[in-house]
Formats: sequence, C-alpha cells, structure tokens
Amino acid sequence: MAVEKMKIISMIGKLRDLDRVSRFVVLDGNTHILNALSELNSNYFSLSASEEHMQALQELSILRAYNGRRDFSKDEAVVASFHTLFDMKPEIRKEYLDIAYPYDDTLKEIRERYGTVKETFDRIRVKQAGIQKMQKQMENLSYFSNSSVEISSLNQLEYLKSRLLMLSIDSFKKLESNLENIPAVVLEYAVLNQQVVLLTLTPKALLEDAERIFASLNYTELELPTGCSGTAGQVIKELARQIEAEKAEIEALKNSASTMKEEYGETIKRAFSMIELEKRVESIKVEAAIGHNLFFVFGFVPESSLGRLQAGLKETFGEELVLIVEDVDSRRAGHAPPTRIKNNWLFKPFESLVNLYGIPNYNEQDPTAFFALTYMLLFGAMFGDIGQGLVILLAGLYLGQKKGNKSFGGVLSRLGVSSMLFGVLYGSIFGTEELIPALLIRPMHNINTMLLGAVVLGVVMITVGYLYSLANHLRTRNLEEGVFGKEGLVGFLFFWTLVLTAGDIAAGLNLFPDGAAMGMLAVLLLLMVFKQPLANKLAGHHKLHDEAPADYYIEAGFGIIETLLSVLSNVISFIRVGAFALNHVGLYIAFATMAEMINSKVGGIIVLIIGNIIIIGLEGLIVFIQSLRLEYYELFSKYYTGYGVEYRPASLFNEVQ
Amino acid sequence: MDHVTRFAAVNSKIKTMGSAFLKEADYIELLQKRSVMEAARYLKEKTAYNRILEHAHIEGIHRGQLENLIKQNMIRNIDKIIHYFNGNYRRFVATLYAKYEIEELKQIARAVYNGRSAGDFRNSAFIGKYSGIERSKIFEAKLTRDIIHALEGSEFYKHLIPLVNGDIQENLFRFEMVLDMAYYSILQREWSRLDKRDIRILEQAQGMMADLLNLQWIYRGIKFYKLSPEELLNYTIDIGYRLTRDFVKGLCYAGSLDNFFRLTRETRYSFLFKDDETTDIYMERRMERHVYFELLAMDRSHQLSIITTFSYVLFLEFEVRDLIAVIESIRYGVPLDQAHQYIILKLRGDEK
Repeated sequence: MAVEKMKIISMIGKLRDLDRVSRFVVLDGNTHILNALSELNSNYFSLSASEEHMQALQELSILRAYNGRRDFSKDEAVVASFHTLFDMKPEIRKEYLDIAYPYDDTLKEIRERYGTVKETFDRIRVKQAGIQKMQKQMENLSYFSNSSVEISSLNQLEYLKSRLLMLSIDSFKKLESNLENIPAVVLEYAVLNQQVVLLTLTPKALLEDAERIFASLNYTELELPTGCSGTAGQVIKELARQIEAEKAEIEALKNSASTMKEEYGETIKRAFSMIELEKRVESIKVEAAIGHNLFFVFGFVPESSLGRLQAGLKETFGEELVLIVEDVDSRRAGHAPPTRIKNNWLFKPFESLVNLYGIPNYNEQDPTAFFALTYMLLFGAMFGDIGQGLVILLAGLYLGQKKGNKSFGGVLSRLGVSSMLFGVLYGSIFGTEELIPALLIRPMHNINTMLLGAVVLGVVMITVGYLYSLANHLRTRNLEEGVFGKEGLVGFLFFWTLVLTAGDIAAGLNLFPDGAAMGMLAVLLLLMVFKQPLANKLAGHHKLHDEAPADYYIEAGFGIIETLLSVLSNVISFIRVGAFALNHVGLYIAFATMAEMINSKVGGIIVLIIGNIIIIGLEGLIVFIQSLRLEYYELFSKYYTGYGVEYRPASLFNEVQ
Repeated sequence: MDHVTRFAAVNSKIKTMGSAFLKEADYIELLQKRSVMEAARYLKEKTAYNRILEHAHIEGIHRGQLENLIKQNMIRNIDKIIHYFNGNYRRFVATLYAKYEIEELKQIARAVYNGRSAGDFRNSAFIGKYSGIERSKIFEAKLTRDIIHALEGSEFYKHLIPLVNGDIQENLFRFEMVLDMAYYSILQREWSRLDKRDIRILEQAQGMMADLLNLQWIYRGIKFYKLSPEELLNYTIDIGYRLTRDFVKGLCYAGSLDNFFRLTRETRYSFLFKDDETTDIYMERRMERHVYFELLAMDRSHQLSIITTFSYVLFLEFEVRDLIAVIESIRYGVPLDQAHQYIILKLRGDEK
C-alpha cells in the first residue's frame, strides 16, 4: 500500500574483506547499491573522530574507483559447453554458496575436467559440422534433381572444369548480356530469392580468365560431394543415409558422456552458481570506493530488511567492518532513494500499469491502491457483462498461470471479475439482456442517468485526486503549489465552487446568488496567479519572483486559461464512462440485428459468436485504453509525478546491470 | 497518400534548411584561415554550424574531430528530414545513409589492409547509421574479414559473404567493389517501393550520376588498372540515364583510350574528357559540379517530389566534401589558388 522506508547503510572495511562482504550483501539480496565516489562527493560524509574511525578518515582523501574488472566470459563458456554436452539447464542454487567458497579452486577443477571431456566434445562438434556440410551438399544437389546428370562424371571431365555457382540476379543479368565474351559454358539451373544457380563448364586452359570474370560478379561456389556416383536423386539418398549414421554416432557419444554427467554434474552446478554470484559481486565492487587499505560501499536498504542484514554482517565480520546507518531525510544531495512499493495481492498487478507512467517518487504517495480500485471500477462500468467478463477472467488466469505473465494476467483477471460484477448490475450475459434481470440499471434504457452518473463519478474521483495531491504537497511542505497551486488547496476550492455553481444552475435551485459564486471564483483565480509572490511573502523570502516578473505573469496568465479549461474538460471527460457503457450495449444490438437478418438459427448463432469475439477483442481493448487514459491524464496529472528510481537490490535473482 | 500531403511539409522544411548552406563568401573567408582552430571558430561564430559546435572546445580542436562534427551536422539535418516521412519513403531516405557508411567502411578496410588499426577511425560518423550494427565490433577489426563478420545481420552482409567463402586471400579491391555494387542494388530495391512518379525521377537523377560514375570507372579501368573488358563491364552500375547498356558495353570493349574518347565525344558528358593533363585532376570536381547543376534544375522542374530530399542530401554531402577539402588545405598549407580548385562550389575568379 505504500512506499517503503529506506535507510542508507555505509560499509567500511579492510580491502581483503571486500569480496566476502560483497558476497554477503548479494546473498542477502536487499541492498540497492550506490556509487560510492559520487555519494562521497555529493554528501557530507559524517564520521565521528573516534579511534575506530581514524583510519577511515585518513583514507577519505585518497579514494579511487575499483578498476580490476574481472572477465568471466571464458569460465562461462566452459561451463556453458558442459551444460550443452550434458543437456543440463543452468540454474542458480543458493545452497552451493556462502561467503568464503573456493571460487578459483572450483573453476580450476572444472577447467581440468574440461580437458578430459573436450575430446568428446570436439568429436561431436566435428560430426555436427560434417552433417551441416552434407545437408548443404544435398541442397545443392537438389538443383539437379530433374536431370539425369551423372554427378561423379562432372568431376571427371578431362578438358573442362565444372563448378556450381550462385550469383545475384543483378550480376547474372550482366553475365547474360555479355555471354559471347565469356570463356565458359553457362547453364542456368534455378532462380530463388534474387539468386541464380549456374553450372559453368570452363576449358581448363582458360580457367584463370574465367575465374577473374566470375570473381568480379561476386559469386558463391556451391559445393558438390566428391566420390559419390549416380544421379542427383541417388546421391541425395546416399547422403541422407550418411547423415543418419553420423547422428547415431553423436547420440552414442552423448550417451558415453552421461556417465561423466553423474560424476561432474554437481561441480558444474556449483560452478555456475558461483560465476553468477561473482558477476554480481563485481557489479558491487565497481561501485565501491577503494583506498590504500579500506573500501567504502554505500547502499539503500529497506527498513524491514535492515535489521537482519546488520546483524548478519556484525556476526560475520565483527569489529573488522564499520557499519553506519543513516536516515534518508538527513541527506542533502545526491542520489534519490529508490522506491520499493508494497501492495497486497489484489493491487499488486496494477503496479506494472503505474510504472508504465513512471515509478513513484520516494516522497510521494504510492497511487497503486487508488489506481487499482478506480481502474477496475471504470473498466467494469464501461464493459459490464457476466459472460464476456468471464472470458477476460479466464484469459487473465491463463496468461498468469501458463505463460508466466503474472502482472498482465493479474490485471486482466481482476478486470474480468469487475466486468462480471457490473454484468450482474446491468443484467447482461454475452450481450443479451433477456436472460437475467438487472440489479441496478439497464444502460440503454436510462441514457441520461448513465451519462450524469459518469460525471458524478468523475467529480468524486477527481476530488480524491486532489486529496492525494494535497497530501503529497503537505509531505514536501510545498507552500506555493500546495496552498496556492492549481492542484493545491486553492485549485481544489476552485474546482468545487465551479462544480457546485454549475450543479446549482443546472438543477435550477438557485441556492447561492450568481454574484457570490463569480466573485469567489475570481478571487481564487487571482490567488493562483499570484501564487509565487504570495508563497514567498508568507515564507519570508525577500525575493518575490524566482524569475523575471514579466515572464512569470505571462506564464501565470496562460495558467488561468489552462486551469479553466482543464477543470471543465476533466469532468466532461468522464462522460466517456457512460458513453462506452452505452456503446457496449449498442455494439451488441448491431450484431443481434444482423443475427436476426440471417434467416437461419445456426447462422445467427455464428454471427453472435463472431460479434462477441469482436466486442471482447476490439471494445475490450478500447475500454482498456480509455480507462488508462482517464487515469493517466485526468488523475495522475493532478497528483503524481512518477520521477522515482526503481529499487534494484544487488541480488542473485536480479540481472547484472 | 498523394504527393501534396507527402511532400508539402518536408519540402518547405528543406527550403528553410537550405538557407543554412555555406555561402561563397564563407568559403572565401574560410580559405584565408591559417589554422584548423581558426576555421572552426569561424564556423562556430558565423555559420549554421554553431549548433553542432556549441559545446566543442575550439581551442585545441584537431582535424579529425572537426570533420566528425561536420559530418554529425549532416546526420542531424538528414535525421530531421526522415521524421517527416513514414513507411517506404522513410526507409528510402534512411537508405541514403548507406552510401556514406560504405565510404567509411571502405576507408577502414583500406587502413586495416595496410596494417593500420581500425581503432583510429572511432570518429567515423556514419558507421552503423544504416546497417545498424554494433560500431565497436568494426573498430576492433584486424582483417577485412573481421569487418565482414562485424557486419553480420546487416544488409551488406549477404553481399559480402561470398568474399569470405572460398578464397582465403584478403582482397581489398573486391571488398570495395562489392560494397559499391551492393549500394546500388539496395537503393534500387528501396526505391522500387515508392510511387511511380518518384521512381521515374530517381531513375533520371541517379541514372545521370551513374552515367558519370560508369564513364569515370571505365576510363580509369582502361588507363590505370588495365582490367579486362569483361571485368570492366561487370563492375559498371546498372542504372543508366543517357547512356544505354549497349553503349556502356561498347565503351568497356573500346580497347584503347583513343577509341574511348572517340565514343564519348558524341555524348552529353564529353566535358569530362578534355584530352589534356586537366582530365585526371579535375574529373571528380567536374562530375560533382555537373550533378549539382542538373539536380538544381530537376528540383525546379519537379515540384513536390522526392527529388528535393534526394538533392538536399547530396548537397549536404557536397558541403561536407568542400569543407573537408578546405580544412585539409588549411592543415597542409595548400596555396590559396590551388585550394580553390578542390571545391565543388564555383568560387569567383575560378575559371577552370
């Protein structure tokens, strides 16, 4: 439901412990690492001048970046070739890892073993290459499949040399236009993908001349098998037989390797996990600051995980490692704290849609809960149908379970449920409204109520948006925007005054005199125009304007127009909720009419099925987008900036950056 | 889409961008400069190059950096224009980058062939611009074949792969020729997807340029390279405008320079061959000037067509060439009147 609180942890320790500390941090998996040098440069790093900090204080002036970047690509290649040889899936297993494992020894062992299996491995590779070559030759031979040319005879000509060449069509045209001057017989065999396959017969005495000419046409020679006799078809069969034999031999080789698999499998799994850990350790070390004897590592840790990390480090390293934990608020500059949002299972999938707009700022309210509730509400209201909702629910479940697309699947299934609930309220199953009674309302029969209801819903939602905005401004103590801004208190009052006045006039109640409402609106607008000087005055600053006054007032003047327009358009925008609810019914009516026009029961049902598919696919997508639009444009623009930094802890299960 | 909707906006944009071309006075001024630094300062303070040079350190700028920035300016302008197009037209305009990328690839290949490091060319502006390949791979190449493998996945690759198959010998000449041929085949494929009217216009413009290049190629082939007629023919460009295929073939089989001159005398391009020592020195510039004026004329007579974009890109290229010629003249202290002769734009008092 909220943005999780972060603390900054600074780790200062002896250089020889750097690897072990980094491993510990990765295995713990909760620290969002900061670049130590830029952190030290942008923040005043406070160390009390006690005995234990003396050495650290001395080293502060000579820090440099870690630059011994290790290259794991060779080791990775070795391990990867074991994986292919043994048909194993690479996976990271935590039980092989601790902070003091013998990385170099394990890898040395692996490399030694690689020497013994390499022979088998190479033999398989050679055979695979051979198979590829034969397959290529089969393809080349297929150009002759319609002729009865004896393949072996092509290689045994006494005065002529035969070659199978491939040219681009452009080159072939040039060759064709000049055939009378070419010292060779050229037979065209096939044309495919802009390439032409030719058989050339060149007198052996003229080979050199012909070669120069063909070379200038940029040819590719197609290889034919040697030592085979028979027509192309026969040779192809023979090659296919040979390929099968080779494949069987490869299988046999792989089987012989499987005994080795039992012996080495464990070590390989271990090595793979180690390499993965080491890669992440490197990514921590790259961000560290290195002195003569000490290292400095900084990171953000969520408050909930801090205790465990701190205790663990204390227990393992004791006095050797100095830990300093600071509050985020005490920071004056530097990296913004990363945002880790926590939501319950109902709202969690919607985080992906919020992040699509932007990641919440650390100092902002996490809008996911409100977003999720309203998004489900809007979607359901526009797309209320028990049957179609069920289809969307099932699609969502399928995506989430089978395809592993948890967030999108989750969003879809929740939207499906919401759509089904509204289906009950509207009394609609797969478009038809004749099967069950409506619990609440039939959209098509109450058009005005639907549209008005949508506007009221909009006013409510925008109000909540203003409240979020006020809360955010209160948190950051932003007087100018929070009180006088158009998303602040004054803007909020303006919005409600306008809404009430409009409602008053529309309903013909005449509760308050027109003049009073107009006067109130004018005062509020003026407050918005003078927001900066007023705020600066109240805060006791000497300077009233942060920029040239002329620039400021021009901008503020246009701001008024924008405020007026946006209040109106934001509210009216919500009419679409009602309109799409009607549209949803309307689209079905169109298909129902078409179904009736077809004078056959089966035909009618088919049209209705097609209609439902179109409605779910097309209208579902439109409604999905329209709801998103309302959220992003009408609501997020009020209270959400989304300039946050994603929380990416150094962990075994995150990609290395 | 009809041609008004397609070209109205972009052609107006090009009109305004055209006003940023350097003027004759700029070149005369630039040629007076004593050092690369002074020239750079002039470009920064007095011309449209101020944008690209805004953050450059003029003090201590060297030739390579300045040339790269000048090319960057060209890329910037072309990118702006690409935004106005979509679909096949967008792809076609982007394909025009291939020519410049090929030019740089050839440069790198030549350097590698001569034992220099490809890393010296990290300043190359166009590498990857059309092919979309990873630039760093090119700059790590030790052999021509490394360059070819670095181009894997790009349009160029399938043209180059025959060089790697078969003979092991490094062959710079064929590498260069294959890439040049590849450019014209890619270009033709891309323009074949445009509207008929634009195809016709491009066939005329590019055909005229190809005529010139073919003439230059055959002339040099006979005079310097002593290639066989068949090879000469195989390396000609297959797009002609005024010269028919048979005529070009006849030229390839001319046998001697005298015969060649006799045949070309009757064509519109006889101005290239003056039968004196100026032929070799000025051939390139004469070709470029001819192209320049022909394109200007075509641009005027084909309103709202692809020719405006096509010629704008070419004029940008000419400006880059001219500027690089100027900078080189400054850097290597070429006398003023001689330097004039390396510039495509016609400067006052320059009659050749």
